[in-house]
Amino acid sequence: MFLVFALITLLGALGMLLQRNIIVAGLCMVAAFFGVAGLFVLLANPVAAALQIIVYTGAILVLVLFVIMMLNSHEEEPAETPHPIQRWLSVALSLALGVGAVKLVLASRGVQQLAVQGAALPRGTTLEGVGAVLFAGHLLGFEVAGLMLLAAMVGAVALTKRNL
Amino acid sequence: MDTLASLLHTSPALAWMVVKVVIVFSAVMLLASVWTWVERRGSAMIQDRIGPNRAALFGRIRIIGLAQLLADGIKFFFKEDLEPHDVNKRLFWLAPFLAFVPAMLGFAVIPFGRDFVSGGHVYHLSVLDPGNGMGMLYPMAIGGLAVYGVLVAAWSSNNKWAILGGMRASAAMVSYEIGMSLAVVSIFMTTGGYDPAQIIAAQGSQPWHWNVVPQFLGFIVFFTCVFAETNRLPFDFAEGESEIVAGFNTEYGSMKFSLLALAEYAHMMTASALVVTLFFGGWQVPFVAHPGVMLSVLSFLVKLLFFAWVFVWIRWTLPRFRYDQMMHLGWKAMLPLSMVNLVVHAWLMSHGR
Repeated sequence: MFLVFALITLLGALGMLLQRNIIVAGLCMVAAFFGVAGLFVLLANPVAAALQIIVYTGAILVLVLFVIMMLNSHEEEPAETPHPIQRWLSVALSLALGVGAVKLVLASRGVQQLAVQGAALPRGTTLEGVGAVLFAGHLLGFEVAGLMLLAAMVGAVALTKRNL
Repeated sequence: MDTLASLLHTSPALAWMVVKVVIVFSAVMLLASVWTWVERRGSAMIQDRIGPNRAALFGRIRIIGLAQLLADGIKFFFKEDLEPHDVNKRLFWLAPFLAFVPAMLGFAVIPFGRDFVSGGHVYHLSVLDPGNGMGMLYPMAIGGLAVYGVLVAAWSSNNKWAILGGMRASAAMVSYEIGMSLAVVSIFMTTGGYDPAQIIAAQGSQPWHWNVVPQFLGFIVFFTCVFAETNRLPFDFAEGESEIVAGFNTEYGSMKFSLLALAEYAHMMTASALVVTLFFGGWQVPFVAHPGVMLSVLSFLVKLLFFAWVFVWIRWTLPRFRYDQMMHLGWKAMLPLSMVNLVVHAWLMSHGR
């Protein structure tokens, strides 16, 4: 089961990168999100899976596809003067980022605790648990994120609507 | 169930799972296809016509025109599967399935009857057993995916009308999703849980304790948003046949069109089931505290069919909104109303009611 979902995720991500057609790339991304949601279910965290699908595939990607359709850009255009160095630089950078991320996760306290305590750890697998953690432990971060989103929204309205 | 399972050399749980999936899938399919006929007969009734009543089995057995379903199905299968020249072939094929599968999947978590005990096992009448941790988040997530079918169909047709329909559908979906979710959240709050079984149990068998009475505002918002989510009139801007030909399914014909249409009706069934579960006590029978299994299933079915009929009723009664009117309604009426609903209930709860 893990292999199936991991393959869906990886193939979706690869398809998104390699596909020239932007809408198809977006749909590949949906597949990748689904793979990640499946992995969350395998980790016995169905709430995270549901939220992943609601937020990313249900809202954000629909908006992205909407914008793509509105701009009516169907194909990615080849560059006029290709710079192969950019490609190699991006590969090197993403490799470095990937290795760094894996190292960070493996060195984190959570993973080490998991190795020691295993299943005895408290889990935020219910909606109540997630809500309690979010509003009790991380209230400041939550409010800051809300404020930032509000600011972004006001900025977008101010930029597009010259005369309100 | 035990004897059946032992005959098939499986565990009762597995046999019951298969039975449940078959029941739910075939029931939703059957109801969706029957409802295409109900819609035509209903529209005829409302417009003082007769509607399709001529189709008959073997030219003889005319069951008030119900054979029309078979006739339609056979016709759709034998029509030429036309594919316009400039469509994106793969996506054009994929779109009907993307529309149909989420419409069917959404039903999985909804209990359509009370649990029963047989041979020491508890059997739940919902495909996903209660306590799966996903609860009502699951139909919300699946409902959000329904727009991909419309979007992909619209884009792959390579047709201006279709793209207009797809863009309208995605914009409507995103606008109405928020109001709808907030209405559901206030139910989660008052119930103290988000599992459909919990929500139904908390409503009890007295009709004035069902969520529709204390949360009437929430019901109005949810029901309106459901119309926008299922692309039904008065909000069927994805199709809008008087404005943009046939919207997202302009280029579709034969069985592919049939799948898109069936997806709409299946989605309608799932939406009615959600309304019943959230606001009308699910399988609870009015004034009967401990109904039998069959009675509870019947009660659920009656409520479900009533709301499915309301969908038809409203479609042929109200005219279509204008697009900007719908956006105004979504953002300036439904969203504030459901926020008011949420805050009022939070305030009531904090004062110990």
